[in-house]
Amino acid sequence: MNAPAFQAKDFKSDLKPIWCPGCGDFGVLQGLYRALAAIGRPPHEIAFISGIGCSSRIPGYTTAYGFNSVHGRSLPIAQGVKLANPDLLVVVAGGDGDGFSIGGGHVAHAIRRNTDLTYLVMDNQVYGLTKGQLSPTAPRGLQTVTSPLGSLEEPINPLLYVLAYGAGFVAQATPADMPGMTALIEEAIRYPGFSFVNIQSPCVTFGEDDQQLKAHKAKMKTLASLGHDSANQLKAMDLARAYGTELYTGVFYRNPNPPPTYDALIRLRQAEQSKKAVPRNRILDAYLQK
Amino acid sequence: MTTRGIDYDRLTLKDAFDLAILVEEEARDRYEELAAQLTLHHTPAAAGFFTKMTGIEEKHRQQLQVEREKKFGSEPRSIQVELLYDIEAPGYDEVRAFMSLGDALRTALASEVKAHAFFTEAVRNVKDPDAKALFSELCEEELEHQALVKAELAKLDPTPNGNPNDYSDDPVAL
Repeated sequence: MNAPAFQAKDFKSDLKPIWCPGCGDFGVLQGLYRALAAIGRPPHEIAFISGIGCSSRIPGYTTAYGFNSVHGRSLPIAQGVKLANPDLLVVVAGGDGDGFSIGGGHVAHAIRRNTDLTYLVMDNQVYGLTKGQLSPTAPRGLQTVTSPLGSLEEPINPLLYVLAYGAGFVAQATPADMPGMTALIEEAIRYPGFSFVNIQSPCVTFGEDDQQLKAHKAKMKTLASLGHDSANQLKAMDLARAYGTELYTGVFYRNPNPPPTYDALIRLRQAEQSKKAVPRNRILDAYLQK
Repeated sequence: MTTRGIDYDRLTLKDAFDLAILVEEEARDRYEELAAQLTLHHTPAAAGFFTKMTGIEEKHRQQLQVEREKKFGSEPRSIQVELLYDIEAPGYDEVRAFMSLGDALRTALASEVKAHAFFTEAVRNVKDPDAKALFSELCEEELEHQALVKAELAKLDPTPNGNPNDYSDDPVAL
């Protein structure tokens, strides 16, 4: 066995995470370090972009480039980063509130453009950083500070949401299964196009007991064990409907014929246009009638 | 506790040393992380114990490293940490802010039990007789570590010193 170019610790920064002890995000971060080591790209070729929230602190905990940006705006910024420097490996990280509430409108456009980036959502069904308000994936009936008598709203189903907009790679993971989660993150990063991993990462302070990692271990079912064919988009959507009742882990959908990415198309367009380029001092000629 | 892709059929004594060293490294690093988390979250007794465990795991790592160097010099590792998950390291979900020293000791004890189970399984599966002997030795050591932690637990005042949930950081709006 050849020694890999990088080890997990090469991606770990000196900054200590301030998450609550027991938080699911610690496991996600550990899995992420290991997935990056397996990918084998050096930290300076990777950029982490996040919004606001507990999980959005991830860029600071890595040695890669990072931008802990504004609430819900990680995807537009990440697309800009990728287009400005297509050679960067761009990973977007954030919570369910950041991604599917304030940033919800951006998800559809990132998917339809198919920019080559990986979006990791740490779904904990609550706004933890601001002390436990109802989030978009919170189940109906959940009591929080903003729903003291129980939520009257149906939760957003993030899996169905991204599948419906045509995401080419959709998976779900939990840090209760570290090898499985790490492998899924790695596979998502390697996918050529927009990839999405919904990581059930429990909030230890404001989350429900039946959402903690011990409960995940008991109830998780791998899609492989169900014999799911990840090339079957309709079956993936059918299985994704169980979000909130079943904890399925694995790849729901992987487009067997990934279309060209937006960044690749842009580069092609730039190359085509550059052939028609005129010297700067002749640029006005294009606007003059011959 | 999980592993990914360890090929016990082809595992040599050097690999066995490297695997054991990585188990100790993972545990050392995890205890260090947990100590930092609990220090930050005002849980000094448990943090202090985990700092002590960091030192103990590092000492075990060094002992194994010395033995490895005697036998194999500086030959590079062929086993990677990516193959191991939480063998002797407590899971991230095992700790809580305001956990008691007793809870911290019980977390460490559970981790020693996991490590013993891992090495027992390794003894059963490995083919190389020297590697098997090393894993057997490590199995015995894990039992000794369990006894040490149990002895520490026995010294603690059995009176419960509060429920960690009594101190949770709930929003004042409730």
